[in-house]
Amino acid sequence: MDFTLPNFAPAMPEIFVLSMACIILIVDLFLTEHTRVVTYLLSLITLIAAAVLTANLDTAEPVLTFSGTFINDSMAVVLKLFIYLITFVVLVYSHNYLRTRQLYQGEYFVLILFAVLGMMVLVSAHSLLTIYLGLELLSLSLYTLVALRRDSVSASEAAMKYFVLGALASGILLYGLSMLYGVTGSLDIGNISSHISTSIATPAEHSIVLVFALVFVLVGILFKLGAVPFHMWVPDVYHGAPTSVTLFIGTAPKIAAFAMLMRLLVDGLGDLHSQWQTMIIIVAVLSMAAGNIIAIAQTNLKRMLAYSTIAHVGFLLLGILSGTLNGYASSMFYVIVYALMSLGGFGMIILLSRAGFEADRLEDFKGLNQRSPWFAFMMLILMFSMAGVPPTVGFYAKLAVLQAVVEADLVWLAVLAVVFSVIGAYYYLRIIKLMYFDQPDDVAPLAAGFDMRLAMSANGLAILGLGLFPSGLLTLCARALNP
Amino acid sequence: MIALSDFLVLSAILFCLSMAGIFLNRKNVIILLMAIELMLLAVNMNFVAFSHYLGDDAGQIFVFFILTVAAAESAIGLAILVVLFRNRRAINVEDMGSLKG
Amino acid sequence: MEHIIFYIFSAILVLSALMVITVRNPVHAALFLVLAFFTSAALWLLLEAEFLALILVLVYVGAVMVLFLFVVMMLDINLTVLREGFTSYLPVGALIATLILIEMALVVGPEHFGLDSVAAPVPHTAGYSNTQALGNVLYTVYVYPFEIAGVILLVAIIGAIALTLRRRPQTKYQDPSQQVLVRSKDRVRIIKMPSEKKRGGA
Repeated sequence: MDFTLPNFAPAMPEIFVLSMACIILIVDLFLTEHTRVVTYLLSLITLIAAAVLTANLDTAEPVLTFSGTFINDSMAVVLKLFIYLITFVVLVYSHNYLRTRQLYQGEYFVLILFAVLGMMVLVSAHSLLTIYLGLELLSLSLYTLVALRRDSVSASEAAMKYFVLGALASGILLYGLSMLYGVTGSLDIGNISSHISTSIATPAEHSIVLVFALVFVLVGILFKLGAVPFHMWVPDVYHGAPTSVTLFIGTAPKIAAFAMLMRLLVDGLGDLHSQWQTMIIIVAVLSMAAGNIIAIAQTNLKRMLAYSTIAHVGFLLLGILSGTLNGYASSMFYVIVYALMSLGGFGMIILLSRAGFEADRLEDFKGLNQRSPWFAFMMLILMFSMAGVPPTVGFYAKLAVLQAVVEADLVWLAVLAVVFSVIGAYYYLRIIKLMYFDQPDDVAPLAAGFDMRLAMSANGLAILGLGLFPSGLLTLCARALNP
Repeated sequence: MIALSDFLVLSAILFCLSMAGIFLNRKNVIILLMAIELMLLAVNMNFVAFSHYLGDDAGQIFVFFILTVAAAESAIGLAILVVLFRNRRAINVEDMGSLKG
Repeated sequence: MEHIIFYIFSAILVLSALMVITVRNPVHAALFLVLAFFTSAALWLLLEAEFLALILVLVYVGAVMVLFLFVVMMLDINLTVLREGFTSYLPVGALIATLILIEMALVVGPEHFGLDSVAAPVPHTAGYSNTQALGNVLYTVYVYPFEIAGVILLVAIIGAIALTLRRRPQTKYQDPSQQVLVRSKDRVRIIKMPSEKKRGGA
């Protein structure tokens, strides 16, 4: 048996995050409620150090290691850095929220770190096996996080729904992966891709089987992304979970889901583009339509943002379906921007909440301008950005995706997308109306601490700043995919 | 000799039965979880059959990991079920009143 | 001979799977699922996947299904409510499932995966060890997935404990470390008292 030690260097960030998660798990055993801040700080340090390790990796060439199950390329590095950044802000936002709600447990931080590890595995996956394992590591951590508030009926119901539908999606995805393995005879993404390109060149009888496998894989992925018609879990989970967990689920995992789409559909099944394009067009149109229209009827902000997520997923898919490098880069830009915006959106709910008061209804935002003009302005920027109003970054995200669609000769789709985003603008602007033109029902001062206020302001200004100077992030995304 | 297609059709039957089980037992979470186990069994059957007929061990390795993950998954699923039961004294998903989809 | 074994076990497998999703009692469903796993293990032996066949019985039947049975019996489930709507969904559900099955069978059926297109492999010789073959690659080629699987199990442990462990104030439990540390003088206090004289001298 010949065995050479694999090259561990590209996986240093993963190894580091795993070791730190285990250390934090043990350290937390010796902490009490009052000293738990150590766990929080250690988690933040872990994310910063992982970012340093990741940024130092050499990405001139994609590096494969662990017998080709792990890949490190520039896309992986950029996506991982944004995952750390967003998780860092999630922890800062949720710190005070947890303390006032008996949720301040070490498990919360450890599970978030394990979820981050799952996302890293997913982002760097180069084999069907690692894609599946990364996805499950992420999902299992998220199911537990949703249910972590054990005395809440709605949280445990949401967790159960999330679990059942998530496990169902995994099952369907796995069936697709098994067919893919059966046709191509390999689990390696590179081998699958080359097998498909040769079998497409010489039309074999397997092509119908490939499309059959593709359908199952797509259904599994779309379920996880929460695209219509596989979206029914999204509003319930976002609504039922504690806001700090909703904040996490609604942001960083979307980036990981994008990576999964890229690895499976583009890297693996790129040659079947003409087959999956039609399916994704249908799903994207349905998502944008259903997400934007149902969101109008919501009175709960968490549910409204959930439907807005569905609509944004539709937009994200537009870039992917164009099938060009430009399109993929625009989707990557979109998903990063979306994660930052929804971080701010859910962050505002946490900012306004206090012990015993969740601030997740639309009425809770009434007259925010009188209570705190600065944060009303931040919310204004966030809502403008989600609606896609210039000069916020949300506008450029939508513009980039639409350009990619037009380049792919799908002008009608671009027009439809614009129509739906105009419909969508209504419910974002309604919040702005509530904040600026209505009288507040509740005049209590904001209870958020200094760190929260600082992070929230940075978040809002980042959306504005990126909108004024979008070219940096745009070129970063373009270069990440085409080094 | 038994053909590969025989095993694949058997696995397709299991897959459809588990889908039907999920559709029919929407109220009963325990049966739902069992139907999901059945679905994973169908997937595993596919992998093992392909692995045998391709003469490649990778499929069997994949099944090994699916079994591991499925064990972890059912542990978490049942834990969530216990939490849900403690809160509601029922495990009926359909009339989860506090969440309206 | 192989054909007979295959068809008998497949028939048992399909029937038990059907029972899992249709029986009234969750305990019966769990037991039928056990039967389904056993017959699948037998079918996997036909496919020369001996290690996985054993693992399926040991891990699935031995651990996962026992866990299921524990939970079913621990929770006091109202069966009548759970069955509501079953019969009304049944015709639609059965119809859709049959249609999907026919479509799937057309794709995975003999046309693409029959013996003509995929020949049956030569059986391994008597000295071949399936366990060794898997073990050789599991810790070398697949060491990275193996580690992730370990992490997934750790998350499952953390999750299950975090969700269900609770200290109920009224339950009585033993703490061995406290028991060992107990010293006799903490328990028994010896009080010196001056002896009292009998009264009177009667």
